[in-house]
Amino acid sequence: AVSMEQGAVPSCPPQCHCEEDGIMLSVDCSELGLSEVPANLSPLTAYLDLSMNNISELQPNTFHHMRFLGELRLSGNQLFRIPGEAFSGLYSLKILMLQNNQLRRIPAEALRDLPNLQSLRLDANLISLVPEKSFEGLPSLRHLWLDDNALTEIPVQALNNLPALQAMTLALNQIGHIPDYAFQNLSSLVVLHLHNNRIQSLGTNGFEGLHSLETLDLNYNELLEFPVAIRTLGRLQELGFHNNNIKAIPEKAFVGNPLLQTIHFYGNPIQFVGQSTFQFLPKLHTLSLNGATDIREFPDLKGTTSLEILTLTRAGIHLLPRGMCQQLPSLRVLELSHNQIEELPSFHRCQRLEEIGLQHNRVREIRADTFGQLMALRSIDLSWNCIHFIHPEAFVTLHSLTKLDLTDNRLVTLPLDGLGGLTHLKLQGNPALSEPFTKESFPKMRVLEVPYAYQCCAYGACSNFFKLSNQWEAEDMNPEDEDLHKRTVGFFPGHADNHYDLDIDDFQLELEESKLHPTVQCTPSPGPFKPCDHLF
Amino acid sequence: MHPNVSQGCQGGCATCSDYNGCLSCKPRLFFVLERIGMKQIGVCLSSCPSGYYGTRYPDINKCTKCKADCETCFTRNFCTKCKSGFYLYSGKCLENCPEGLETNNHTMECTSIVH
Repeated sequence: AVSMEQGAVPSCPPQCHCEEDGIMLSVDCSELGLSEVPANLSPLTAYLDLSMNNISELQPNTFHHMRFLGELRLSGNQLFRIPGEAFSGLYSLKILMLQNNQLRRIPAEALRDLPNLQSLRLDANLISLVPEKSFEGLPSLRHLWLDDNALTEIPVQALNNLPALQAMTLALNQIGHIPDYAFQNLSSLVVLHLHNNRIQSLGTNGFEGLHSLETLDLNYNELLEFPVAIRTLGRLQELGFHNNNIKAIPEKAFVGNPLLQTIHFYGNPIQFVGQSTFQFLPKLHTLSLNGATDIREFPDLKGTTSLEILTLTRAGIHLLPRGMCQQLPSLRVLELSHNQIEELPSFHRCQRLEEIGLQHNRVREIRADTFGQLMALRSIDLSWNCIHFIHPEAFVTLHSLTKLDLTDNRLVTLPLDGLGGLTHLKLQGNPALSEPFTKESFPKMRVLEVPYAYQCCAYGACSNFFKLSNQWEAEDMNPEDEDLHKRTVGFFPGHADNHYDLDIDDFQLELEESKLHPTVQCTPSPGPFKPCDHLF
Repeated sequence: MHPNVSQGCQGGCATCSDYNGCLSCKPRLFFVLERIGMKQIGVCLSSCPSGYYGTRYPDINKCTKCKADCETCFTRNFCTKCKSGFYLYSGKCLENCPEGLETNNHTMECTSIVH
């Protein structure tokens, strides 16, 4: 494309920027404060951008001579109506942008004869009226934007004859109901967005006819019931109905949608989910459900073999089925926190498992085979359970394990075999776990939380501190300690001449940074009142 | 209001500054950061730049990148024009057309075979 300023090409309107592409012309007159369409536009104009001006009116036949115009941008102007002949003659027009204007109804008369129009943008107007024959003259229309308008119902009649339509958004309107057969002739529609409306009810045949639909977005509506009408959408891959008022997902809810890959339904007061609800969804890779307190049993996921992420928290599950991992060979993340699970099956068939979240359950023990053979397992969260026993070989095969959280359990001892790779270990809240650790047990440790301060001494805390607390003499300190002494003395009230200008937290932080093994953050770190010796 | 932020701004800006351009947009417009050399300036548009698609929400209008093989798109998973070397078929960009369809090198689309 050859760029040239106004004047270089005789038909380039004043102030506009024109580019020649072979014999065709691209004309950009956007954001010039124009109040009308420039005159003398070249008949060889293929692209005309008049967006973001102050054009409030179009004259009939304004573009009549522009047989090659492929894209016309009139978005961001002040158009509140468009006369019937405004776009006559635009036989090559493919893209028409009318968004961000003041239109109150579809300019049906102006859209009568645009045989090649594929994309029509009418979003961000004030449209509340869609005449029946609005799109009659648009046999090639594929993409229609009607979002952010004032529609109160689905324009069923107007949508009745759009055989080529593939993508449509009616989002951000005030639509309250989807009647039966609302989209029955839209057999080519692939994407349908209805988010941010007020949809409360849906005819059981509401989506009849949408044979090609792959994406359906019903998020941010007021649905009270699960949209059973989706059962006719055999090619559906993406479904969203999050942030609605749905309380239950029935048995066999997705039996008609075997190609589903994602289902988003958080932000609903879901209490009940059927045992068979998520069966036979071989493409589903993520399933997350939080707070469905009526769920007592782990769902039967037969035939949902590609699941990688399963989140089922804050329900009432108390038992995990033995054959669970046979159904979930691809599982990578299992998040089951805040349930009532007492006993764990063996997860050894979940070979790709990387993360397990079981915090806030009632697990009592970890057996040798609980986590056996899980070579990819990196993180286990078992905090807030009742674990009193861990089999010595429980972690032996976990070569990738880096994070283990056993906060607030009933441990007396911790088997160290297999934990050499840990970088994060949390054990606080296990009062009976008093054994000291050696640095050699955790060569890669970075964050260690232990029940007692002295257990941090393995990381070099005690020797320096012990010297400080018993012998304030400066003479046997090496320069490093001396510098430390000055700073540490400064923290003690009434000591030497420094006034006490740091509170106890700053003291501890300073202590941690200056003395502990530089890469390990061990808490609770020893201090004046938490000596390194185990007093009892 | 911060001293460098003014309200007498151009085009679709609601607030702007000399150095950063638009800081916020008038309602229903898309806020986009445009790179000019080392600098980034805010602009307010009625449609997202090529290679991005717009999503409207009650409180914000967002521009999000299309897939790598797509030049313009309706959503991330539905392309309306593919980059060169790819053929468009039902919102997807393919290097070869599915069985039963033929390539149209003029429109760069997969079309039904005309017997």
